[in-house]
Amino acid sequence: MAYHSQYRPPHYNSAPPDQGFLWNIFQRVDKDRSGAISDTELQQALSNGTWTPFNPVTVRSIISMFDRDNKGGVNFNEFAGVWKYITDWQSIFRTYDRDNSGFIDKNELKQALTGFGYRLSDQFYNTLIEKFDRQRKGQVAFDDFIQCCIVLQRLTDVFRRYDTDQDGWIQVSYEQYLSMVFNIV
Amino acid sequence: MSYYGQGYPGPGGNTPQQHPSPGASYGGGSVRGPYGGPAPPGGTPYGGAPPGGQYTRGPAPGAPYGGYGPPGSSGQYGSGGGGAPGAPYGVGQAPGAPYGGYRQPYGGQYGQHAQGSNIPPGVNPEAYQWFQSVDTDHSGYINLKELKQALVNSNNSTFNDETCLMMINMFDKSKTGRIDIFGFSALWTFLQQWQGLFHQFDRDRSGSINSNEMHQAFSQMGYNLSPQFTQNLVGQYCARGMGNALQLDRFIQVCTQLQSMTQAFREKDTAMTGNIRMSYEDFLSSAITRLM
Repeated sequence: MAYHSQYRPPHYNSAPPDQGFLWNIFQRVDKDRSGAISDTELQQALSNGTWTPFNPVTVRSIISMFDRDNKGGVNFNEFAGVWKYITDWQSIFRTYDRDNSGFIDKNELKQALTGFGYRLSDQFYNTLIEKFDRQRKGQVAFDDFIQCCIVLQRLTDVFRRYDTDQDGWIQVSYEQYLSMVFNIV
Repeated sequence: MSYYGQGYPGPGGNTPQQHPSPGASYGGGSVRGPYGGPAPPGGTPYGGAPPGGQYTRGPAPGAPYGGYGPPGSSGQYGSGGGGAPGAPYGVGQAPGAPYGGYRQPYGGQYGQHAQGSNIPPGVNPEAYQWFQSVDTDHSGYINLKELKQALVNSNNSTFNDETCLMMINMFDKSKTGRIDIFGFSALWTFLQQWQGLFHQFDRDRSGSINSNEMHQAFSQMGYNLSPQFTQNLVGQYCARGMGNALQLDRFIQVCTQLQSMTQAFREKDTAMTGNIRMSYEDFLSSAITRLM
C-alpha cells in the first residue's frame, strides 16, 4: 500500500537538513517516545497555515508513502523523507500563495499544476477546488493542496499505464476500471 | 502527443502493487459475459450499488448521509439469493462479540439517567448513549482518534485509519474532520448494518471474510466479479498476518468503495456493454468526485 518516494514534489530538490536538527524535531514530534511517529503525532505537529487541524487524509497519505513496512508510523530514517517532502511542498505552495494567506485560489492552483505539466480544462479546476476546498472558502489550503497533487499524480500514473498509445483515451472493462481506482479513491 | 502532464516523470515501471496488471489478473473463466459471469438476479450486469442519485457528482454540501449504506438498506437486493439482506439485522442486535464493532458497551454503566429528554430529535437513543462514551474529551464531536479507540475488530485489532477516515468524511457534514451527534447517529446505523452483513457472510464463523466468502458476498449483493478479481482485492486489503481475509474494518472499506466506483462506471457505461471509453479528464473527474 505504500507509495514510497516516487511521489515527490515536482521540480524541487532542497538540500537535506542537518541530522541533529532533524533528530530534535523527531523527538519533539514523537510524543509517546515510541520511536515512530504516528498519524496523530504528525498531524499535531503540522500546520496548514490556518487555524484548523491538518487534513488527516493528507497525513495518512504522507505516512503511507514513507512507512516502508506498513507499521503505521515512520521511524527516524523515514522521518527525514517526510520532513523533506513537506518542506518541498511548502516551498512550492509559498511561491503560488503570493499574499501569504495560507490559501491558493483557482488561478493560482492552475498556475501551479500547469507548471507541473498538467493540461486541464477550466471546468476541471472547478471540480478540483470543490473537492479539495475543505474549508469552503473557494480556495485550497496547504494540506489540501498536497492531497490534491497526490491524488492527481496517482490517477495520472494509473491512466498512463492503460493509455498505451498515449492518445489521452482509454477503453477499460468494469473490473479494469475498478482496479484502476481502488485504493486511490 | 500527450494529453496529460509531463511534469511527473516518475520511475516508469514503478507501479504501486495494488493495481493488477491489465489483462493478467482477471478474465480467467470469464467466458459468459462482459463481467465474467451470468447476469445477477438484479438484472444489470454489474450490480450492488444503490439506485442512482445517491452518489451524485459533487454532492451538495450538507447532502444527507442517508445515501451511504450497505446494499441491504436500499431494499432492492431481496432476490439476490440467500436471506434478503436488510431484514435480519437491525438496531436491536447485540453489539460486538464475536464480530467486532463497539468496544465500549453502551447502556450498562450509563443506566437510565442518560435517557433524558436531551437526546436531539432524530438521534437514535442507543447511538446517543454510545456517543457520550466515545466522546472522551467531551467536545461534542467525535474525531479520528476517538473513533479509532471506539471501534474494534473481532481479533481485537483497532479499525484501520483509512476506514475511520472514510467514515468520518461520509458522516461529517461540516467538513471539519469530526462528527457531531447527528452524523454519529447515522454512522451508528451504517455500522450496525455492515456488521450484520459481515456476520451473515462469515459463513465459517471465523470472524473474518476470506476470498471465497467475499466472492459469495459480492454476488449476493449483486456484483458480478470474477473470483480472481475478488481474490486480488482481498489480498490487497487484508491486514498483515491476516492470511488473506478481511476483518470488519476492511470489509466495510472495500464494500463502500466498490459501491461508489461501480456507480461511477455505470454512469459512463450508458450502453451497458461492460466496457467504457474515457478521456484522461473524464477519468480524473469520475474518480475525484468520488473521493471519500
